[in-house]
Amino acid sequence: MSVDGREDTRGDGGRVVPNYAFTAGRTRSARGADMPIEALVTATESGLAAAPGLPPESRAIIEASTGPQSLAEIGALLEVPLGVARVLVSDLAADDHLAVHLPLVGTDGRPRRELLERLLDGLRAR
Amino acid sequence: MVSVHGDHAADGGLVRAGAKAAQAELLPLKILVAGGFGVGKTTLVGALSEIPPLSTEQEMTSLSEGIDDTSAVPDKTTTTVAMDFGRVTVDDALVLYLFGTPGQSRFWFMWDELARGAVGAVILVDLRRIDECFAAVDYFENRGVPFVVALNDFPGTEGVDDDAVRDALAVPPGCPLVHVDARDGTSCTAALISLVEHALAEAA
Repeated sequence: MSVDGREDTRGDGGRVVPNYAFTAGRTRSARGADMPIEALVTATESGLAAAPGLPPESRAIIEASTGPQSLAEIGALLEVPLGVARVLVSDLAADDHLAVHLPLVGTDGRPRRELLERLLDGLRAR
Repeated sequence: MVSVHGDHAADGGLVRAGAKAAQAELLPLKILVAGGFGVGKTTLVGALSEIPPLSTEQEMTSLSEGIDDTSAVPDKTTTTVAMDFGRVTVDDALVLYLFGTPGQSRFWFMWDELARGAVGAVILVDLRRIDECFAAVDYFENRGVPFVVALNDFPGTEGVDDDAVRDALAVPPGCPLVHVDARDGTSCTAALISLVEHALAEAA
């Protein structure tokens, strides 16, 4: 289904390999269930060193994450749903192959004031 | 400095110590772009984004039961909802993501996850189809998520009185109402600036 609810008639999204095959049947990660869609990941040195020996999807994530990538971008890159990307990223983070950079929010659940001020400065400079 | 950020850091060591200092400072932010079908959400995201808008998918599971007719595909119990999104690198550490959110009320469960921790929302309005954004105004107001109402100035909507729009949409006092050309980056950036100023005022 697309952004505004048009039905996706491809059914399985046109994938040859089903999503569950990527994650050994797991749909939830022990650690990453709450990882937000905007969480940023970067490859660690250990991840870059290990990448050549990892499965293709893990390798693709690490290679893409030499610069910061959000969970959303990882999902788009691999053409998998967000939940699948979350499982893969969490596993790589647990193995210290990826560093995860989470949003900084205050006790009210909103971004901290100093971040909003930096964002405002950055937008005004555009 | 270790790369532990925010109140998620305690939930299982997702974030590792020892990353390079430059990486440790990275901080994501997000703004939601809401509005009805065809109002220009993806156009606005594309006008601001440094990458061509991407699409991410989320599987919709049991909540869709009884709503979606899956009888034509009996083996399929989930539907996939896609969201277009874009990216704006704000400075050397802040990365802003813009998510175009599905408009229909049956996707509100997705909005809850998306709205958590968001800077706020831009509700994009086509004045010719104003009814499509009532739900979004209600949603963000009830959740206490800062928002601005952005009128996408389509041909044929010139000369509309802003106060009349405010009344029609029951836009709360203090909530900015701006005009945008969703194709124009400068115009869309101005809308984001209004939103962030409003979020700061609300946070005060």
